[in-house]
Amino acid sequence: MTLLYVGIMSVAVFWSDIKELFTGNEEAQKIAIVNETSADFSEIFVSNEDIKYVQDETNIKDLEKKVKDEKLAAIITISDEKGQLHAEIATFTPLKLNDQSTISSLLQYAGKNYAVQQLALSPEQAAQIMDAQTVISNKNLNEKTIGGKSEEEKQSGLVVSYAVGILIYFFISTFLSMITTEIASEKGSRAMEMLLVSVKPATHFKAKIAGVLLLALTQMGIIAVVFLIYAKFVKDGAVWDMAAGIVKELSVGYVIYAVVFLLLTIILYLIIGALFGSLVSKVEEAGQVLMPAIIITMMGFYVMLSGMGNPDTIFIKIFSYIPLTSGMVMPMRIGATDVGVMVPLISLGILIATIIVAYVFSLSFYKRSVLTYSTGGVIQKIKTVLKVTT
Amino acid sequence: MTLQLQHVTKKYKDFTAVNDLNFTIEKGEIFGLIGQNGAGKTTTFRMILDLQETTAGTITWDGKAVNIINRDVLGYLPEERGIFPTMKVEDQLYFFGELRGMKKAELKKEIDFWINRFELEERRKDKAETLSKGNQQKVQLIASFIHKPQFLILDEPFSGLDPVNKDLLKDAILLLKEQGTTILFSSHQMDNVEELCDHLCLLKRGVSLFSGSLLDLKKQYGKIKLAVRTDWSTTQLLTLEGVKDVRVEKEQTVLTLENESFAQSIFDQLSNGKYIEKFSLDYLTLDEIFKDKVGGNIVEV
Repeated sequence: MTLLYVGIMSVAVFWSDIKELFTGNEEAQKIAIVNETSADFSEIFVSNEDIKYVQDETNIKDLEKKVKDEKLAAIITISDEKGQLHAEIATFTPLKLNDQSTISSLLQYAGKNYAVQQLALSPEQAAQIMDAQTVISNKNLNEKTIGGKSEEEKQSGLVVSYAVGILIYFFISTFLSMITTEIASEKGSRAMEMLLVSVKPATHFKAKIAGVLLLALTQMGIIAVVFLIYAKFVKDGAVWDMAAGIVKELSVGYVIYAVVFLLLTIILYLIIGALFGSLVSKVEEAGQVLMPAIIITMMGFYVMLSGMGNPDTIFIKIFSYIPLTSGMVMPMRIGATDVGVMVPLISLGILIATIIVAYVFSLSFYKRSVLTYSTGGVIQKIKTVLKVTT
Repeated sequence: MTLQLQHVTKKYKDFTAVNDLNFTIEKGEIFGLIGQNGAGKTTTFRMILDLQETTAGTITWDGKAVNIINRDVLGYLPEERGIFPTMKVEDQLYFFGELRGMKKAELKKEIDFWINRFELEERRKDKAETLSKGNQQKVQLIASFIHKPQFLILDEPFSGLDPVNKDLLKDAILLLKEQGTTILFSSHQMDNVEELCDHLCLLKRGVSLFSGSLLDLKKQYGKIKLAVRTDWSTTQLLTLEGVKDVRVEKEQTVLTLENESFAQSIFDQLSNGKYIEKFSLDYLTLDEIFKDKVGGNIVEV
């Protein structure tokens, strides 16, 4: 499992190299630019590794033949029509979507540029128009809260929260099913009774949770170390700089919250997983009792996904307080919206309280359920346990 | 070092699994708990092992309540066979030994000894799930006492074993007894109980029908089983005074007497002063007593 995570991370880090492996043999597309205007666009259409621009060609017939022979990918004819730039893209086989959108945006830019040139402005004036952008800054009139986040901060908060949410979701489902099947298989293979003579059920319960939690921490540790090694030493620390930038943008507080929520949520799910595992009679039934918990994690996950579009809905606010889903939803609220200090603390408090209650309840219930073998659905199983042990 | 159950009762909502059970097991003794399925044997074991709470009554080991003693003095072979399917035989035994606080070095000696004794040498490195059922049972049995418990509970240890392995197990139980282990076991194969037990407790639907020494139980009935080889017909035999029942078996006829004292006169009438091939008066077997006690009605006392 850890290997899988490390593998996925490696793919992410080395993506550009891997992509090259698959697409590297492909030569850059050659595109001819036929400029019928007096303006100079050579600074706009600059060749790169994907597209090579052939400038200043005039013989259209010759070029068209080359396109048909597939020596050229396209001919872009730029002309002036009533002071507006007009561009015609002639191809034999349609351009790839990526290339097409690159060219489109370049042409848009060229069009703007052309219009500015027509106005015969001074280079400074022209530059001012071309670089024109509205600078937006936020001012918070509510003195009780700290200054609001900028659009950029929110955006990167959203992206990171998405990544963190997915991570939490994966961790939860992995360790939830791990602890449930683990206990179910011990119970199913009847090794449980042998074990419970040696250690008390309460000890077994705590040991299972501690064991899986330690495994989770080890796994996260390995992933973190591999990530750091990659970040520091691959591609001259480019990934490191990027990560450092993101963390800086998000504030250290966010990172701490995300980690705390991740750990606490895992603990809560482990307690639930252990309890459910103790209900089944054989390992084949583990899936059946896992279902409700999995559905809840999925609910949290999809609520978080919905937050990608708009993280300020009432829906998200509600789910960010529900203990089983807050681990996925709350970090997104912290990262991508303006929340006060109290909101995450309240959510965290609810989560911790739930863990304590769940722990105390599970501990006493586990003792009773772990040696009770019953059939039927989850509710039926719980009923049987209550019936035969009271 | 005695185990004592006093007025132990286990009640569930709508039925009583064990009702007012009392018995004492002395150190180094083999004690049999016998009863039909559902008689409350496993519940009793679980209460002794503190896996289930008692509704009423006390269970003490060496004067201390069982829920506060160090669990390493206990060993348990559950009725349901279960070991870790994917663990190697040897690892399994090390695991259970270490779980009981034993060191690897001392464990090795024990494991070598028992693996050899139960003829598992060749399967030592095999995964448990690849073993036959009987062999798995032997591994589980070793696992239950690898830590040399002072008190060992065996729930139906003989079920599923062939005669050769049964003998291996019997010898092992006797060896453990020699080493001072107190053993409590259940079985519904009475011949095993008869051979091994010093004392026993007969359970029927959670109620103890008898608790004490095997001999005392037999004496309750007296020597009323008379096996003879004779030409007399069943009808003729039934007319004899003190004969309650006659059963013809392959090589003999078995009479059930009202009591021991009728034997002399029956002998006189059957032999008529002459040589007689077989005339054997004995106690009932535990099997017969069991059937009588728990439901069958061969004899009534």
